[in-house]
Amino acid sequence: MPWHVESSLSAINIIAALYGFWVPAGVREGIERLVVISKGHCSLALYSWLVEVGVLSDAELRTFATPSSRLQAHPEAGRVPGVITSTGSLGQGLSIANGLAMAARLDGIRREVAVLLGDGELDEGQVWEAAATAATLRLDNVVAVVDRNGFQHTGRTEEVKVKEPLRSRWEAFGWHVIEVRQDVGRIAAALEEASRIVGKPVAVIVISDGGA
Amino acid sequence: MLEVRLGSYRRALGEVLVELGRELRDLVVLDADTPKSTGSIAFAEAFPERFINVGISEQDLVSMAAGLAIGGKVPVATAFAAFLMRAWEQVRNTVARMGLNVKLVGTHAGLSAHLDGASHQVLEDVALMRALPNTTVIAPADAEAVKELIRQAVTGVRGPTYVRLGRDNAIPVYRRGEVRNLRVGHVNVIEDGEDAVIFAHGPMVGVALAAARILKHSEGLSVGVVDAHTIQPLDSDAVVKLAKRANLAVTLEEHRPVGGLGSAVAEVLTSSKVSTPLLRLGVGKAFGASARSYWDLLRYAGLSPEEVARRVGGALT
Repeated sequence: MPWHVESSLSAINIIAALYGFWVPAGVREGIERLVVISKGHCSLALYSWLVEVGVLSDAELRTFATPSSRLQAHPEAGRVPGVITSTGSLGQGLSIANGLAMAARLDGIRREVAVLLGDGELDEGQVWEAAATAATLRLDNVVAVVDRNGFQHTGRTEEVKVKEPLRSRWEAFGWHVIEVRQDVGRIAAALEEASRIVGKPVAVIVISDGGA
Repeated sequence: MLEVRLGSYRRALGEVLVELGRELRDLVVLDADTPKSTGSIAFAEAFPERFINVGISEQDLVSMAAGLAIGGKVPVATAFAAFLMRAWEQVRNTVARMGLNVKLVGTHAGLSAHLDGASHQVLEDVALMRALPNTTVIAPADAEAVKELIRQAVTGVRGPTYVRLGRDNAIPVYRRGEVRNLRVGHVNVIEDGEDAVIFAHGPMVGVALAAARILKHSEGLSVGVVDAHTIQPLDSDAVVKLAKRANLAVTLEEHRPVGGLGSAVAEVLTSSKVSTPLLRLGVGKAFGASARSYWDLLRYAGLSPEEVARRVGGALT
Protein backbone atom coordinates (compact mmCIF):
# COMPACT_ATOMS: atom_id res chain seq x y z
CA MET A 1 0.00 0.00 0.00
CA PRO A 2 1.81 3.16 -1.14
CA TRP A 3 1.13 6.00 1.31
CA HIS A 4 3.43 9.05 1.33
CA VAL A 5 6.39 7.03 2.58
CA GLU A 6 9.01 9.62 1.58
CA SER A 7 7.03 12.38 3.26
CA SER A 8 6.84 10.33 6.44
CA LEU A 9 10.54 9.44 6.33
CA SER A 10 11.59 13.10 6.21
CA ALA A 11 9.20 13.85 9.08
CA ILE A 12 10.21 11.01 11.41
CA ASN A 13 13.15 12.82 13.02
CA ILE A 14 10.95 15.87 13.54
CA ILE A 15 8.19 13.77 15.10
CA ALA A 16 10.75 12.13 17.40
CA ALA A 17 12.21 15.50 18.41
CA LEU A 18 8.78 17.02 19.04
CA TYR A 19 7.12 14.18 20.90
CA GLY A 20 10.24 12.56 22.35
CA PHE A 21 12.07 15.64 23.63
CA TRP A 22 10.22 18.92 23.20
CA VAL A 23 6.85 17.93 24.71
CA PRO A 24 8.32 16.02 27.73
CA ALA A 25 10.78 18.87 28.42
CA GLY A 26 7.81 21.21 28.51
CA VAL A 27 6.06 19.01 31.05
CA ARG A 28 9.16 19.22 33.28
CA GLU A 29 9.20 23.02 32.99
CA GLY A 30 5.45 23.50 33.47
CA ILE A 31 4.88 24.51 29.84
CA GLU A 32 1.99 22.95 27.95
CA ARG A 33 3.44 22.04 24.55
CA LEU A 34 1.05 21.11 21.76
CA VAL A 35 1.78 19.78 18.29
CA VAL A 36 -0.31 20.48 15.19
CA ILE A 37 0.58 18.16 12.32
CA SER A 38 -0.40 20.33 9.41
CA LYS A 39 1.14 17.97 6.84
CA GLY A 40 -1.28 15.23 7.86
CA HIS A 41 -0.11 12.88 5.14
CA CYS A 42 2.96 12.05 7.25
CA SER A 43 0.67 10.08 9.58
CA LEU A 44 2.79 6.94 9.18
CA ALA A 45 5.70 8.74 10.84
CA LEU A 46 3.52 9.63 13.82
CA TYR A 47 1.92 6.20 14.13
CA SER A 48 5.31 4.46 13.81
CA TRP A 49 6.67 6.71 16.54
CA LEU A 50 3.73 5.85 18.77
CA VAL A 51 4.48 2.14 18.23
CA GLU A 52 8.15 2.78 18.99
CA VAL A 53 7.29 4.33 22.37
CA GLY A 54 4.67 1.69 23.20
CA VAL A 55 1.54 3.83 22.91
CA LEU A 56 0.26 1.81 19.95
CA SER A 57 0.75 -1.89 19.26
CA ASP A 58 2.15 -3.43 16.10
CA ALA A 59 -1.19 -5.14 15.64
CA GLU A 60 -3.06 -1.85 15.71
CA LEU A 61 -0.62 -0.28 13.26
CA ARG A 62 -1.66 -3.01 10.84
CA THR A 63 -5.23 -1.62 10.95
CA PHE A 64 -3.89 1.60 9.37
CA ALA A 65 -6.26 3.12 6.81
CA THR A 66 -9.17 0.77 7.38
CA PRO A 67 -12.60 2.34 7.93
CA SER A 68 -13.10 1.53 11.60
CA SER A 69 -9.47 2.04 12.63
CA ARG A 70 -8.55 5.12 14.60
CA LEU A 71 -5.39 5.22 12.51
CA GLN A 72 -6.86 7.02 9.54
CA ALA A 73 -4.61 7.91 6.61
CA HIS A 74 -4.90 11.54 7.68
CA PRO A 75 -4.96 11.90 11.49
CA GLU A 76 -8.25 12.47 13.27
CA ALA A 77 -8.33 14.61 16.41
CA GLY A 78 -9.24 12.92 19.66
CA ARG A 79 -8.76 9.41 18.33
CA VAL A 80 -4.98 9.13 18.47
CA PRO A 81 -2.89 10.21 21.48
CA GLY A 82 -1.09 13.46 20.78
CA VAL A 83 -3.33 14.45 17.87
CA ILE A 84 -5.32 17.57 18.72
CA THR A 85 -6.35 18.60 15.21
CA SER A 86 -7.83 16.69 12.29
CA THR A 87 -5.71 17.49 9.28
CA GLY A 88 -5.23 16.36 5.72
CA SER A 89 -6.15 19.56 3.96
CA LEU A 90 -2.89 21.46 3.61
CA GLY A 91 -2.34 25.04 4.68
CA GLN A 92 -4.59 25.30 7.73
CA GLY A 93 -2.32 24.18 10.58
CA LEU A 94 -0.47 27.43 11.21
CA SER A 95 -3.73 29.38 11.55
CA ILE A 96 -4.99 26.76 14.02
CA ALA A 97 -1.71 26.96 15.97
CA ASN A 98 -2.08 30.75 16.15
CA GLY A 99 -5.58 30.32 17.58
CA LEU A 100 -4.30 27.91 20.24
CA ALA A 101 -1.46 30.27 21.08
CA MET A 102 -3.80 33.24 21.32
CA ALA A 103 -6.22 31.32 23.57
CA ALA A 104 -3.31 30.64 25.94
CA ARG A 105 -2.33 34.31 25.97
CA LEU A 106 -5.90 35.31 26.85
CA ASP A 107 -6.05 32.70 29.61
CA GLY A 108 -2.59 33.48 30.95
CA ILE A 109 -1.46 29.89 30.37
CA ARG A 110 2.14 28.91 29.57
CA ARG A 111 1.58 27.12 26.28
CA GLU A 112 3.76 26.67 23.21
CA VAL A 113 2.42 25.35 19.93
CA ALA A 114 4.55 23.67 17.28
CA VAL A 115 3.14 23.16 13.82
CA LEU A 116 4.70 20.74 11.36
CA LEU A 117 4.51 22.09 7.81
CA GLY A 118 5.61 20.44 4.59
CA ASP A 119 7.70 22.50 2.20
CA GLY A 120 5.27 21.78 -0.63
CA GLU A 121 2.49 22.92 1.69
CA LEU A 122 4.02 26.39 1.60
CA ASP A 123 2.38 26.80 -1.82
CA GLU A 124 -0.89 27.32 0.05
CA GLY A 125 -1.56 31.04 0.41
CA GLN A 126 -3.16 30.55 3.80
CA VAL A 127 0.22 29.63 5.31
CA TRP A 128 1.40 33.15 4.56
CA GLU A 129 -1.82 34.73 5.80
CA ALA A 130 -1.16 32.94 9.08
CA ALA A 131 2.56 33.77 9.06
CA ALA A 132 1.66 37.46 8.88
CA THR A 133 -0.92 37.06 11.64
CA ALA A 134 1.58 35.40 14.00
CA ALA A 135 4.11 38.18 13.39
CA THR A 136 1.49 40.91 13.84
CA LEU A 137 0.31 39.42 17.13
CA ARG A 138 3.93 38.70 18.18
CA LEU A 139 3.04 35.10 18.95
CA ASP A 140 6.41 34.01 20.29
CA ASN A 141 4.79 30.83 21.60
CA VAL A 142 4.34 29.54 18.04
CA VAL A 143 7.05 27.55 16.28
CA ALA A 144 6.65 26.45 12.66
CA VAL A 145 8.74 23.41 11.83
CA VAL A 146 9.24 23.23 8.08
CA ASP A 147 10.10 19.80 6.70
CA ARG A 148 12.37 21.02 3.89
CA ASN A 149 12.78 17.73 2.04
CA GLY A 150 12.86 19.42 -1.35
CA PHE A 151 10.10 17.40 -2.94
CA GLN A 152 6.38 17.70 -3.40
CA HIS A 153 3.84 15.58 -5.20
CA THR A 154 4.89 16.24 -8.77
CA GLY A 155 8.63 16.60 -8.25
CA ARG A 156 11.30 18.95 -6.93
CA THR A 157 9.78 21.87 -5.06
CA GLU A 158 11.73 24.49 -6.99
CA GLU A 159 10.47 23.11 -10.28
CA VAL A 160 6.82 23.01 -9.20
CA LYS A 161 6.66 26.37 -7.46
CA VAL A 162 9.63 28.32 -6.19
CA LYS A 163 10.14 28.31 -2.41
CA GLU A 164 13.60 29.87 -2.17
CA PRO A 165 14.98 31.94 -0.66
CA LEU A 166 13.02 30.21 2.08
CA ARG A 167 14.87 31.61 5.07
CA SER A 168 14.49 35.19 3.83
CA ARG A 169 10.83 34.63 3.11
CA TRP A 170 10.10 33.75 6.73
CA GLU A 171 12.37 36.55 7.93
CA ALA A 172 10.59 39.01 5.64
CA PHE A 173 7.34 37.99 7.31
CA GLY A 174 8.81 38.96 10.68
CA TRP A 175 9.85 35.52 11.92
CA HIS A 176 13.03 34.42 13.64
CA VAL A 177 14.53 31.55 11.61
CA ILE A 178 16.68 28.62 12.69
CA GLU A 179 18.00 26.23 10.02
CA VAL A 180 18.99 22.72 11.01
CA ARG A 181 20.03 19.48 9.26
CA GLN A 182 18.13 16.21 9.65
CA ASP A 183 19.17 14.94 13.09
CA VAL A 184 16.92 14.31 16.07
CA GLY A 185 19.31 15.88 18.59
CA ARG A 186 19.89 18.98 16.49
CA ILE A 187 16.17 19.42 15.81
CA ALA A 188 15.43 19.06 19.53
CA ALA A 189 18.09 21.66 20.32
CA ALA A 190 16.65 24.02 17.71
CA LEU A 191 13.21 23.65 19.25
CA GLU A 192 14.58 24.52 22.69
CA GLU A 193 16.33 27.53 21.19
CA ALA A 194 13.03 28.53 19.57
CA SER A 195 11.36 28.44 22.96
CA ARG A 196 13.77 31.10 24.25
CA ILE A 197 13.10 33.62 21.46
CA VAL A 198 10.98 36.48 22.75
CA GLY A 199 8.68 38.77 20.77
CA LYS A 200 8.65 36.85 17.50
CA PRO A 201 7.34 33.55 16.19
CA VAL A 202 10.08 31.12 15.16
CA ALA A 203 10.48 28.97 12.05
CA VAL A 204 12.71 25.92 12.35
CA ILE A 205 13.62 24.80 8.83
CA VAL A 206 14.72 21.16 8.82
CA ILE A 207 16.78 20.51 5.69
CA SER A 208 17.10 16.97 4.30
CA ASP A 209 20.31 15.87 2.59
CA GLY A 210 19.73 15.62 -1.11
CA GLY A 211 16.79 17.93 -0.68
CA ALA A 212 16.87 21.62 -1.38
CA MET B 1 -44.76 49.33 -2.43
CA LEU B 2 -43.76 48.67 1.13
CA GLU B 3 -41.31 51.41 2.11
CA VAL B 4 -40.85 50.98 5.84
CA ARG B 5 -38.06 52.25 8.02
CA LEU B 6 -35.49 49.47 7.95
CA GLY B 7 -33.61 48.15 10.94
CA SER B 8 -29.94 47.25 10.86
CA TYR B 9 -28.78 43.66 11.14
CA ARG B 10 -25.19 44.69 11.68
CA ARG B 11 -25.91 47.25 14.38
CA ALA B 12 -27.92 44.57 16.19
CA LEU B 13 -24.98 42.19 15.79
CA GLY B 14 -22.61 44.67 17.41
CA GLU B 15 -25.01 45.27 20.28
CA VAL B 16 -25.56 41.62 21.09
CA LEU B 17 -21.85 40.83 20.85
CA VAL B 18 -21.12 43.52 23.44
CA GLU B 19 -23.84 42.15 25.72
CA LEU B 20 -22.50 38.62 25.37
CA GLY B 21 -18.94 39.85 25.85
CA ARG B 22 -19.94 41.20 29.26
CA GLU B 23 -21.47 37.87 30.24
CA LEU B 24 -18.97 35.43 28.76
CA ARG B 25 -15.30 35.82 29.54
CA ASP B 26 -14.39 33.23 26.92
CA LEU B 27 -16.08 35.02 24.03
CA VAL B 28 -13.55 36.12 21.40
CA VAL B 29 -14.52 37.96 18.22
CA LEU B 30 -12.48 37.78 15.02
CA ASP B 31 -13.01 39.77 11.84
CA ALA B 32 -11.30 39.95 8.45
CA ASP B 33 -10.69 43.70 8.41
CA THR B 34 -14.37 44.58 8.12
CA PRO B 35 -15.38 45.38 11.74
CA LYS B 36 -16.78 48.77 10.74
CA SER B 37 -18.93 47.09 8.12
CA THR B 38 -20.04 43.97 9.99
CA GLY B 39 -20.76 45.79 13.26
CA SER B 40 -18.16 43.86 15.26
CA ILE B 41 -16.41 47.21 15.81
CA ALA B 42 -18.69 47.65 18.83
CA PHE B 43 -17.16 44.56 20.44
CA ALA B 44 -13.66 45.64 19.38
CA GLU B 45 -14.10 48.94 21.21
CA ALA B 46 -15.61 47.37 24.32
CA PHE B 47 -13.19 44.46 24.58
CA PRO B 48 -10.06 45.26 22.53
CA GLU B 49 -8.05 42.43 24.15
CA ARG B 50 -10.61 39.86 23.03
CA PHE B 51 -10.94 41.15 19.48
CA ILE B 52 -8.65 39.94 16.69
CA ASN B 53 -8.53 41.56 13.28
CA VAL B 54 -6.73 39.00 11.11
CA GLY B 55 -6.68 41.31 8.11
CA ILE B 56 -8.19 40.56 4.73
CA SER B 57 -7.80 36.80 5.00
CA GLU B 58 -10.96 34.79 5.49
CA GLN B 59 -9.25 31.40 5.39
CA ASP B 60 -6.95 32.42 8.24
CA LEU B 61 -10.00 33.84 10.02
CA VAL B 62 -11.87 30.53 10.07
CA SER B 63 -8.90 28.31 10.93
CA MET B 64 -7.71 30.64 13.69
CA ALA B 65 -11.21 30.61 15.13
CA ALA B 66 -10.94 26.81 15.06
CA GLY B 67 -7.69 26.97 17.05
CA LEU B 68 -9.29 29.27 19.61
CA ALA B 69 -12.21 26.83 19.96
CA ILE B 70 -9.83 23.90 20.50
CA GLY B 71 -8.17 26.08 23.11
CA GLY B 72 -11.46 26.42 25.00
CA LYS B 73 -12.59 29.82 23.75
CA VAL B 74 -15.97 30.65 22.18
CA PRO B 75 -14.96 32.32 18.93
CA VAL B 76 -17.35 34.36 16.81
CA ALA B 77 -15.91 35.10 13.36
CA THR B 78 -17.59 37.92 11.50
CA ALA B 79 -17.09 38.72 7.82
CA PHE B 80 -18.99 39.51 4.65
CA ALA B 81 -20.94 36.33 3.92
CA ALA B 82 -19.80 36.31 0.29
CA PHE B 83 -16.14 36.20 1.29
CA LEU B 84 -16.58 33.93 4.26
CA MET B 85 -17.60 31.35 1.64
CA ARG B 86 -14.05 31.31 0.24
CA ALA B 87 -13.20 29.56 3.50
CA TRP B 88 -15.90 26.92 3.01
CA GLU B 89 -13.26 24.24 2.79
CA GLN B 90 -11.75 25.39 6.09
CA VAL B 91 -15.21 25.22 7.63
CA ARG B 92 -15.70 21.72 6.26
CA ASN B 93 -12.31 20.20 7.00
CA THR B 94 -11.51 21.82 10.32
CA VAL B 95 -14.63 23.25 11.95
CA ALA B 96 -17.31 20.76 10.88
CA ARG B 97 -15.08 17.68 10.81
CA MET B 98 -14.04 18.28 14.42
CA GLY B 99 -17.49 19.58 15.41
CA LEU B 100 -15.88 22.70 16.85
CA ASN B 101 -17.88 25.32 18.69
CA VAL B 102 -17.15 28.07 16.18
CA LYS B 103 -19.78 30.71 15.39
CA LEU B 104 -19.54 32.12 11.88
CA VAL B 105 -21.54 35.25 11.16
CA GLY B 106 -21.82 36.26 7.53
CA THR B 107 -23.13 39.78 7.02
CA HIS B 108 -24.20 41.56 3.80
CA ALA B 109 -25.79 38.28 2.66
CA GLY B 110 -28.43 37.99 -0.03
CA LEU B 111 -29.22 41.25 -1.81
CA SER B 112 -28.50 43.49 1.16
CA ALA B 113 -25.30 44.98 -0.27
CA HIS B 114 -27.54 46.48 -2.93
CA LEU B 115 -25.01 48.95 -4.27
CA ASP B 116 -22.02 46.57 -4.41
CA GLY B 117 -23.55 44.26 -6.97
CA ALA B 118 -22.98 40.63 -7.90
CA SER B 119 -19.56 40.19 -6.24
CA HIS B 120 -20.91 40.92 -2.77
CA GLN B 121 -24.44 39.55 -3.05
CA VAL B 122 -24.05 35.93 -2.02
CA LEU B 123 -27.04 33.83 -3.05
CA GLU B 124 -25.56 30.37 -2.45
CA ASP B 125 -24.32 30.44 1.15
CA VAL B 126 -27.28 28.64 2.71
CA ALA B 127 -26.83 25.79 0.22
CA LEU B 128 -23.11 25.58 0.95
CA MET B 129 -23.43 25.65 4.73
CA ARG B 130 -26.48 23.42 4.84
CA ALA B 131 -24.55 20.71 3.02
CA LEU B 132 -22.14 20.41 5.96
CA PRO B 133 -22.74 17.84 8.71
CA ASN B 134 -23.08 19.01 12.33
CA THR B 135 -23.67 22.59 11.22
CA THR B 136 -26.54 24.79 12.38
CA VAL B 137 -27.69 27.41 9.86
CA ILE B 138 -29.71 30.40 11.08
CA ALA B 139 -31.06 33.48 9.27
CA PRO B 140 -32.80 35.92 11.66
CA ALA B 141 -35.72 37.93 10.30
CA ASP B 142 -35.01 41.34 11.78
CA ALA B 143 -32.79 43.26 14.19
CA GLU B 144 -34.63 42.04 17.28
CA ALA B 145 -34.39 38.46 16.05
CA VAL B 146 -30.64 38.92 15.47
CA LYS B 147 -30.13 39.72 19.13
CA GLU B 148 -32.18 36.78 20.35
CA LEU B 149 -30.94 34.15 17.91
CA ILE B 150 -27.26 35.11 18.14
CA ARG B 151 -27.59 34.94 21.90
CA GLN B 152 -29.06 31.44 21.58
CA ALA B 153 -26.45 30.41 19.00
CA VAL B 154 -23.62 31.43 21.35
CA THR B 155 -25.06 30.27 24.65
CA GLY B 156 -27.32 27.37 23.64
CA VAL B 157 -25.90 25.70 20.53
CA ARG B 158 -22.77 23.56 20.87
CA GLY B 159 -20.93 23.09 17.60
CA PRO B 160 -20.47 24.76 14.23
CA THR B 161 -23.02 27.47 13.53
CA TYR B 162 -23.50 29.78 10.57
CA VAL B 163 -25.62 32.88 11.08
CA ARG B 164 -26.66 34.64 7.90
CA LEU B 165 -27.32 38.35 8.20
CA GLY B 166 -28.13 41.16 5.83
CA ARG B 167 -26.73 44.67 6.18
CA ASP B 168 -29.20 47.46 6.95
CA ASN B 169 -32.20 45.90 5.23
CA ALA B 170 -33.94 44.46 8.28
CA ILE B 171 -37.66 44.84 7.62
CA PRO B 172 -39.17 45.08 11.12
CA VAL B 173 -41.12 41.95 12.06
CA TYR B 174 -40.93 41.62 15.82
CA ARG B 175 -41.45 44.00 18.67
CA ARG B 176 -39.04 43.80 21.56
CA GLY B 177 -40.09 40.95 23.81
CA GLU B 178 -41.83 39.04 21.03
CA VAL B 179 -38.56 37.43 20.02
CA ARG B 180 -38.49 35.48 23.27
CA ASN B 181 -40.78 33.01 21.48
CA LEU B 182 -38.05 32.24 18.97
CA ARG B 183 -36.16 28.99 19.48
CA VAL B 184 -33.25 27.81 17.37
CA GLY B 185 -34.43 24.68 15.59
CA HIS B 186 -38.11 25.62 15.69
CA VAL B 187 -40.18 27.60 13.22
CA ASN B 188 -42.24 30.52 14.49
CA VAL B 189 -45.74 30.86 13.09
CA ILE B 190 -46.41 34.59 12.80
CA GLU B 191 -49.75 34.42 10.98
CA ASP B 192 -52.08 31.51 10.33
CA GLY B 193 -53.72 31.00 6.93
CA GLU B 194 -55.53 28.24 5.08
CA ASP B 195 -55.07 29.17 1.43
CA ALA B 196 -51.31 29.26 1.47
CA VAL B 197 -48.45 29.17 3.95
CA ILE B 198 -45.21 31.01 3.26
CA PHE B 199 -42.00 29.76 4.90
CA ALA B 200 -39.37 32.49 4.83
CA HIS B 201 -36.07 33.47 6.44
CA GLY B 202 -34.19 36.71 6.91
CA PRO B 203 -35.70 39.89 5.44
CA MET B 204 -38.10 37.80 3.36
CA VAL B 205 -40.19 37.22 6.50
CA GLY B 206 -41.11 40.91 6.38
CA VAL B 207 -41.76 40.68 2.64
CA ALA B 208 -43.97 37.61 3.18
CA LEU B 209 -46.05 39.50 5.76
CA ALA B 210 -46.49 42.39 3.33
CA ALA B 211 -47.41 40.01 0.48
CA ALA B 212 -49.94 38.25 2.72
CA ARG B 213 -51.59 41.59 3.49
CA ILE B 214 -51.80 42.43 -0.21
CA LEU B 215 -53.42 39.05 -0.96
CA LYS B 216 -55.89 39.48 1.89
CA HIS B 217 -57.01 42.95 0.78
CA SER B 218 -56.98 42.42 -2.97
CA GLU B 219 -58.20 38.84 -3.25
CA GLY B 220 -59.53 37.94 0.16
CA LEU B 221 -57.00 35.15 0.53
CA SER B 222 -55.83 33.85 3.86
CA VAL B 223 -52.05 33.39 3.73
CA GLY B 224 -50.01 32.19 6.68
CA VAL B 225 -46.47 33.39 7.35
CA VAL B 226 -43.86 31.27 9.10
CA ASP B 227 -40.42 32.47 10.20
CA ALA B 228 -38.18 29.51 9.31
CA HIS B 229 -35.08 31.15 10.78
CA THR B 230 -33.33 27.83 11.41
CA ILE B 231 -32.74 26.24 8.03
CA GLN B 232 -30.62 23.48 9.53
CA PRO B 233 -31.72 21.52 11.43
CA LEU B 234 -35.09 22.22 9.84
CA ASP B 235 -38.16 21.92 12.08
CA SER B 236 -39.44 19.10 9.84
CA ASP B 237 -42.45 18.06 11.90
CA ALA B 238 -43.82 21.59 12.03
CA VAL B 239 -43.12 22.19 8.33
CA VAL B 240 -45.02 19.02 7.38
CA LYS B 241 -47.94 19.86 9.67
CA LEU B 242 -48.24 23.44 8.42
CA ALA B 243 -47.89 22.47 4.75
CA LYS B 244 -50.58 19.77 5.08
CA ARG B 245 -53.08 22.32 6.42
CA ALA B 246 -52.70 24.68 3.44
CA ASN B 247 -53.62 24.44 -0.25
CA LEU B 248 -50.23 25.76 -1.24
CA ALA B 249 -46.85 25.81 0.45
CA VAL B 250 -44.42 28.56 -0.50
CA THR B 251 -40.78 29.11 0.35
CA LEU B 252 -39.38 32.61 0.06
CA GLU B 253 -35.74 33.53 0.45
CA GLU B 254 -33.07 35.97 -0.67
CA HIS B 255 -31.08 33.10 -2.10
CA ARG B 256 -30.95 31.07 -5.27
CA PRO B 257 -33.93 28.76 -5.53
CA VAL B 258 -31.44 25.88 -5.42
CA GLY B 259 -30.09 24.42 -2.18
CA GLY B 260 -31.61 26.82 0.33
CA LEU B 261 -34.78 26.73 2.41
CA GLY B 262 -36.81 25.85 -0.69
CA SER B 263 -34.77 22.71 -1.20
CA ALA B 264 -34.84 21.85 2.50
CA VAL B 265 -38.64 22.12 2.61
CA ALA B 266 -38.98 20.17 -0.67
CA GLU B 267 -36.85 17.36 0.78
CA VAL B 268 -38.99 17.14 3.89
CA LEU B 269 -42.33 17.30 2.08
CA THR B 270 -41.24 14.69 -0.47
CA SER B 271 -40.04 12.20 2.09
CA SER B 272 -43.17 12.74 4.19
CA LYS B 273 -45.42 12.20 1.14
CA VAL B 274 -47.15 15.54 1.56
CA SER B 275 -49.20 16.27 -1.57
CA THR B 276 -49.54 20.03 -1.04
CA PRO B 277 -47.97 21.77 -4.05
CA LEU B 278 -44.79 23.73 -3.27
CA LEU B 279 -43.87 27.05 -4.87
CA ARG B 280 -40.19 27.88 -4.31
CA LEU B 281 -39.45 31.60 -4.61
CA GLY B 282 -35.92 32.94 -4.56
CA VAL B 283 -33.77 35.37 -6.46
CA GLY B 284 -34.86 34.99 -10.07
CA LYS B 285 -31.46 35.88 -11.52
CA ALA B 286 -28.22 33.92 -11.61
CA PHE B 287 -26.31 36.77 -9.95
CA GLY B 288 -27.24 40.03 -8.27
CA ALA B 289 -26.67 43.52 -9.62
CA SER B 290 -25.96 47.04 -8.38
CA ALA B 291 -29.02 49.06 -7.43
CA ARG B 292 -29.53 52.47 -5.85
CA SER B 293 -31.87 51.08 -3.22
CA TYR B 294 -32.65 47.75 -1.62
CA TRP B 295 -36.25 48.01 -2.84
CA ASP B 296 -35.09 48.54 -6.44
CA LEU B 297 -33.03 45.38 -6.17
CA LEU B 298 -35.93 43.39 -4.71
CA ARG B 299 -38.04 44.41 -7.71
CA TYR B 300 -35.23 43.40 -10.09
CA ALA B 301 -34.95 40.01 -8.35
CA GLY B 302 -38.70 39.39 -8.35
CA LEU B 303 -38.87 39.55 -4.55
CA SER B 304 -40.87 42.72 -3.91
CA PRO B 305 -44.05 42.16 -1.87
CA GLU B 306 -46.17 42.94 -4.96
CA GLU B 307 -44.33 40.41 -7.10
CA VAL B 308 -44.45 37.76 -4.36
CA ALA B 309 -48.22 38.41 -3.93
CA ARG B 310 -48.71 38.13 -7.68
CA ARG B 311 -46.91 34.80 -7.92
CA VAL B 312 -48.55 33.28 -4.83
CA GLY B 313 -51.98 34.52 -6.00
CA GLY B 314 -51.28 33.11 -9.46
CA ALA B 315 -50.38 29.71 -8.06
CA LEU B 316 -53.67 29.59 -6.13
CA THR B 317 -55.93 30.23 -9.11
